[in-house]
Amino acid sequence: MEPFIVEQTKSTPLVAFNAESRMLIIKGQSYPENSFKFYEPILQWLDDFFTMDRDDRLISLEVSLPYINTSSSKCMLMLLEKFEEAKEDGKNIVVNWYYDQDNESELECAEDFKEFVELKFNLIAMQGE
Amino acid sequence: MSSRLTDIQNILGVQGIITCFSGRFSQGLIEEIGEAVKKHMEAEDKPKNDIYNVFSIFVEQSQNVKNYVISKEGSPKCNRIASSAIICIGKDETGYFIWSGNIVENKDVAPLHAKLSTVVGSSKEELKKLYKEQMKKDPEPGQLGAGVGLIDIARRVSLPIEFSFEKVDEEFSFYEIKVSV
Repeated sequence: MEPFIVEQTKSTPLVAFNAESRMLIIKGQSYPENSFKFYEPILQWLDDFFTMDRDDRLISLEVSLPYINTSSSKCMLMLLEKFEEAKEDGKNIVVNWYYDQDNESELECAEDFKEFVELKFNLIAMQGE
Repeated sequence: MSSRLTDIQNILGVQGIITCFSGRFSQGLIEEIGEAVKKHMEAEDKPKNDIYNVFSIFVEQSQNVKNYVISKEGSPKCNRIASSAIICIGKDETGYFIWSGNIVENKDVAPLHAKLSTVVGSSKEELKKLYKEQMKKDPEPGQLGAGVGLIDIARRVSLPIEFSFEKVDEEFSFYEIKVSV
């Protein structure tokens, strides 16, 4: 499958998937004007990927969201649910969620997501700038 | 000149307002004002947590206003609603606040009032539960937000949310909300 990449802007994160490393990276602030419109092609791409993928190697979702608004959170939850379904279909999945150790709100946000889904979900503290 | 900009600045100063935008605003403006406030707070060495909460409430509040305007697109009232918006960020003795207002159709007052009353009357634990319930619902066609903006705001406040509705005329009321972090 073609690699997938969406460049970062002020209000949208970098989204990149590399089929070789099997890593989906989502990195940056997320508060677009229309979150559903921004995330829709990503969710669509994931559906296609999980349908076509015949490999049983680990797929990792690497997330670092210094800020996420509520409508993006809704989309992120939909994305995590796709990973959850894939796991139920036998895929090997891990979520690595990075947060700034000096920012309690960022950790709370990450914990909310962790509680939403049944996935191997690591919360990883990062040294802030 | 009978009225001067300095008078307006004085009023803003008395209220502790750091930045204020009045009129029709766009996503681009939300981004610029949001980043500016973040920089202002970073320069004052505020804790990251406070910066995050101020930025977050500002974005949710301004996107709520914007989504309300979009929901009225195609109606002759849309223009008047869009240009009635005002959003301020300021600081007083208790901390930072985000204070915004816009006109709403009178028929929209009761449901919004009910929503605000629920949110204001809930504990942080109850708010977390409400947030989770609402997040799990399937989005409706044409829905712009997750429907949890006000709940998310209420989870971050340090003082109870203040809000009011003042009747403007037979069609509209002015809605304002002040949130302290």
